Amino acid sequence: MTEKPSVVATLFRFQSVFGLLAVFVAAIIFSPRKNGAILFVSADNLANVVRAVSEIGIIAVGMTFVILIGGIDLSVGAVLGLAAVGSAVLMVENDWGFLPSVLLVLVTGTIFGALQGVATAMIGIQSFIVTLAGLQIARGLARIWSGGQGVAISYGDGPKEAPTSFALLGERTFGGLVPIPVLIFAVVAIAAVVFLRVSAFSRHLYAVGGNEKAARLSGVPVVRVKIAVFAICGLLASLAGIVHAVQLNQGSPNDGIGYELDAIAAVVIGGTSLAGGRGSVAGTVAGALLLGVLNNILALNNIDSNIQLLIKGLVIVAAAALQRLRPAS
Amino acid sequence: MRQDAALVRMERIGKRYGGVQACRAVDFTLGAGEVHALLGENGAGKSTLMKILSGDVTDFDGQIEIDGTPVSFGGPTDAQAAGIAMIHQELDLVPGLSVADNIFLGRELRTPLRTVDRRRMDREARALLERSGVRIDPRRPVGDLRVGEQQLVTIAKAISLDARVLIMDEPTSALTTTEVERLFEVIRELRRAGVGIVYISHRMEEIAQVADRATVLRNGEIVTSFDPRKLSTAEVVEAMVGRPVQTMFTTPDTDTGDELLRVDDLKLTARRPRPGRRDPDGISLTVRAGEIVGLAGLLGAGRTELLETLYGVAPTGTRSGRILLQGKEIRPRSPRQALAQGIGLVPEDRRASGLVLFHSILANTVLSSLPAYGRLGVIARRLERGASVKMADRLRLKFGRLQDEVGTLSGGNQQKVVFGRMLLTEPKLLLLDEPTRGVDVGAKAEIYRLLGELAGQGLGVLLASSELPELIGVCDRVVVLRDGRDVASFSTADSGEGDLLAAAMGEAAVIGDVL
Amino acid sequence: MRSVQIPLVAAAAALVLVGCGTTSDRTGGSPSDGASKSCQGADGKYTIGMSQANVAEPYRQRMDDDIRAAAKEVPQFDVKFADAAQDNAKQVADVDNYITQQIDLLIISPNEAKPLTAVVQKAFDKGIPVIVLDRKVEGDAYTGFIGGDNVQIGSEAGKYVAEKLLPNGGSIVELKGLAGATPQAERHQGFIDAIKVNPKIKIIADASGDWLREKGQAQMDALLKANPKIDVVYAHNDPMAEGAYLAAKAVGREKEMKFIGIDALPIPSGGIKAVEQGRLSATFTYPTNGKEAIAAAKKLLVDCGTIDKSQILPTRLIDKENAAKIYAEENPTG
Repeated sequence: MTEKPSVVATLFRFQSVFGLLAVFVAAIIFSPRKNGAILFVSADNLANVVRAVSEIGIIAVGMTFVILIGGIDLSVGAVLGLAAVGSAVLMVENDWGFLPSVLLVLVTGTIFGALQGVATAMIGIQSFIVTLAGLQIARGLARIWSGGQGVAISYGDGPKEAPTSFALLGERTFGGLVPIPVLIFAVVAIAAVVFLRVSAFSRHLYAVGGNEKAARLSGVPVVRVKIAVFAICGLLASLAGIVHAVQLNQGSPNDGIGYELDAIAAVVIGGTSLAGGRGSVAGTVAGALLLGVLNNILALNNIDSNIQLLIKGLVIVAAAALQRLRPAS
Repeated sequence: MRQDAALVRMERIGKRYGGVQACRAVDFTLGAGEVHALLGENGAGKSTLMKILSGDVTDFDGQIEIDGTPVSFGGPTDAQAAGIAMIHQELDLVPGLSVADNIFLGRELRTPLRTVDRRRMDREARALLERSGVRIDPRRPVGDLRVGEQQLVTIAKAISLDARVLIMDEPTSALTTTEVERLFEVIRELRRAGVGIVYISHRMEEIAQVADRATVLRNGEIVTSFDPRKLSTAEVVEAMVGRPVQTMFTTPDTDTGDELLRVDDLKLTARRPRPGRRDPDGISLTVRAGEIVGLAGLLGAGRTELLETLYGVAPTGTRSGRILLQGKEIRPRSPRQALAQGIGLVPEDRRASGLVLFHSILANTVLSSLPAYGRLGVIARRLERGASVKMADRLRLKFGRLQDEVGTLSGGNQQKVVFGRMLLTEPKLLLLDEPTRGVDVGAKAEIYRLLGELAGQGLGVLLASSELPELIGVCDRVVVLRDGRDVASFSTADSGEGDLLAAAMGEAAVIGDVL
Repeated sequence: MRSVQIPLVAAAAALVLVGCGTTSDRTGGSPSDGASKSCQGADGKYTIGMSQANVAEPYRQRMDDDIRAAAKEVPQFDVKFADAAQDNAKQVADVDNYITQQIDLLIISPNEAKPLTAVVQKAFDKGIPVIVLDRKVEGDAYTGFIGGDNVQIGSEAGKYVAEKLLPNGGSIVELKGLAGATPQAERHQGFIDAIKVNPKIKIIADASGDWLREKGQAQMDALLKANPKIDVVYAHNDPMAEGAYLAAKAVGREKEMKFIGIDALPIPSGGIKAVEQGRLSATFTYPTNGKEAIAAAKKLLVDCGTIDKSQILPTRLIDKENAAKIYAEENPTG
């Protein structure tokens, strides 16, 4: 038995981190310059990059949990839309305060996720189908709640205005450098990484994804694990929805369409196996950032939007292919 | 001198996996109509050698000749075209497809209209199965079959290929004694037809019965070749493990204590009965503390189902009768509950339901006892490491690092990890389902030693096994099941394999035929 | 163990909410006079960023094409294109990226007003002149708006129906655009106001075709079954009108009724051709404003002039008589 993991194995293990580094370096090289300054590395632009992926990133963290147990959650984009609508309607139309609104929205998202967990864990419907239905239901609820239209958010103390404390979520902090959505994403990511490292729950989660039958026979409360994981995913999707609403000053039932696929892409690029039981949140964060940097550098170079789609598709395939090349155990 | 009759001649075969030399300059021949047994501990190189012959492994040193002509296989398809068929130890069947569909997978029979001729496939599948000695409805999905039945299906499938060389890797590991007998008849028939058979097995008595020649591999090299009828089991085992093994079965005759488990007329009527399942239909038995009780019975007698019911994983349905643990009635509804009450299970198929193969040894070992290593759901790494190191030590686990994937261990060591996981929950009663299936001789002996040790510490063990010598050798008492009922109970001190078998098969069977 | 994670994340979120002092980058700032700062006259070189809401819609693809064609005539201009694929957040990022690139002028066709207002203002505050096309943003932090008037277009369509198609009254079915979209509401309002002149004209049924041809066709299938007598089909855009025509044709009733649409794109699959070939009775141009946007940019950057804050382009009626001629004018190559 070898005592230390080979260099190759390490490279594969941190595949997405190295991928991110490679894309980052490439971005610097290919960045347009103006008056000698590399536009890509300007503080403003880097903040933009992370801000742009913060919502997908938050969702992708939840998606990682679901994929780790061998499931999938297609409803996250719609739950994001539902949460964005909820935030806007509660604070603007119902003139609720900031904390009660945010809490209700988060609880709604969590319950929505938990119910999907119940359907897949207790009734035994595949999560793909459950959450496909959940996607439709969340969109429908968002349409009903909003009356079918985007609800614009303006801030102030008057009636039909959201509290200014809510607006702070969209601002920047640390000397105007760090957008708060980025900070939220960072806190979520770090909390998830720590949680997966130290908690007994995370062992159960990996075991359920790795071999559900073995996990059940080992006394893992499989049903509870699944429900909790879907609840976490719903919670994070609704958190992303709140961030979405504040960044765009609107909650629209059409918000977040297709975000589930971006989140899945981030998870896959991050090296988490769709078969479950293998992967990490750190990888997902790297995957989300990689997609963000890629989007940014393609846009800064004004690559045709159709070509951008091709390039992003190829990156996803390349990431998946790299995983296939992972040295067999 | 060159022997022209050789059907297969493998010369100076070498194969290296990373740092492991799986095969080293191995010469191997197989004649037409010969049954050539291949022995060796897990990891000795038997499987690698046969994967090379069956075209699964294509980059290796040395050469292969078929009928004296050098061949080079690009893959299993080439080998099949050359008439070589392999029955894998990991049953490569598609669970969702029917038995007939599996047997004819990739070469489906067609009607004149080129559509799939199901009727003819079913008919021929039925005939093939009967030839291998089983009656299974060829229209049943393979996933519904028991492991032993699945094994018979793979054998039927291999026979249907009309191969000239048939490689059987542990074909009897899940078969009952009668089924093994029927399989041997098929093998003899094939041999008469000139088929060359490579027979890989851990079971010495089978090899003595069926093989013409036996070759022992150790660490990728041939140690010895011999006539299986002439060498004693002890000598062969010594050749395999490289050191003398005193006795396989080391059951210390421990004093048994109080009654630990009592099952009273246990019956389960599943709400949705699954075909091929034999849920308990009136079983009564007891296990005392420190006692090892065997569960014997033919395939489908309901051994696994009984263990599952005791462990809380039986299908939902109405249950009658009582289960008492230390005099208290229990109704296990989930493994979690069973474990909390002090009942552990080592399941039948460790790959499918025992382990997460690509997770670490550590994670697999502590999975059932996590709350013991931390507080408020946070795990203290030091504690879990300490516990698993101690357990690995106690089980004499052979491993590199605790972080290694459990799938990299040999079968016997994998099984020890499952044992370790259960023991860390500190059970009072251990349910074992075929715990030595696919485990090499050395590891088997160690598992038996462990069982003795556990019983000595006052644990009760309920051991379901198809290996009669194991039951006789290890258990204090054996309860025989038939059709979901307990039909007999023997003390192993004064009964033999024949008694068990007779009881398992029922009065109608002719005992003299079988052994 | 089972439930710690929920309070954990909630606590983390709350921490963020409470703990951070913030500085705002959304403060209003007086609208600077962008034009004078950027203008370097005819010798300058100008990079223009065009942020499109969704090129998957033929109308918006045509808008980009018009801008591209018009910009070719101005040697000083280099126009970049970005497509937000109907995602507000993506469009915000697109504009952010243009700001990073320090473009000289922004043309934006916003996906929705409110979500894009802040980022447009950010660009405008940095001294980048902004020309807003088709849909407005809120406030007045932009240089100029160019668009059509959907109420007026709806009204023209209503007038055409009242005067030309149903002078003696009749039954109309209305195929609406995507629910919640402003143009949908406006095209509807203008239309019903205009047909009020004749109380014998009635809208007997309506349905939402989401701007899509196949959806229009499916909705029309149902409307045909429910309504034995239909005189006019008023669709909020040409693709839905075409879809309705196909549905009627499938049951052999296309001759019984007239079809009118809106947009009149001068492309082979557009409404003008459909009128020319007799499937639609009429359609009304909805200007893409592409040509006008480049003209305005030229005025600002090259001529150092000023432009109107709001420029509303009139609609034109396309019917059998002028269809071929206008198609040739608008699309000389095809």
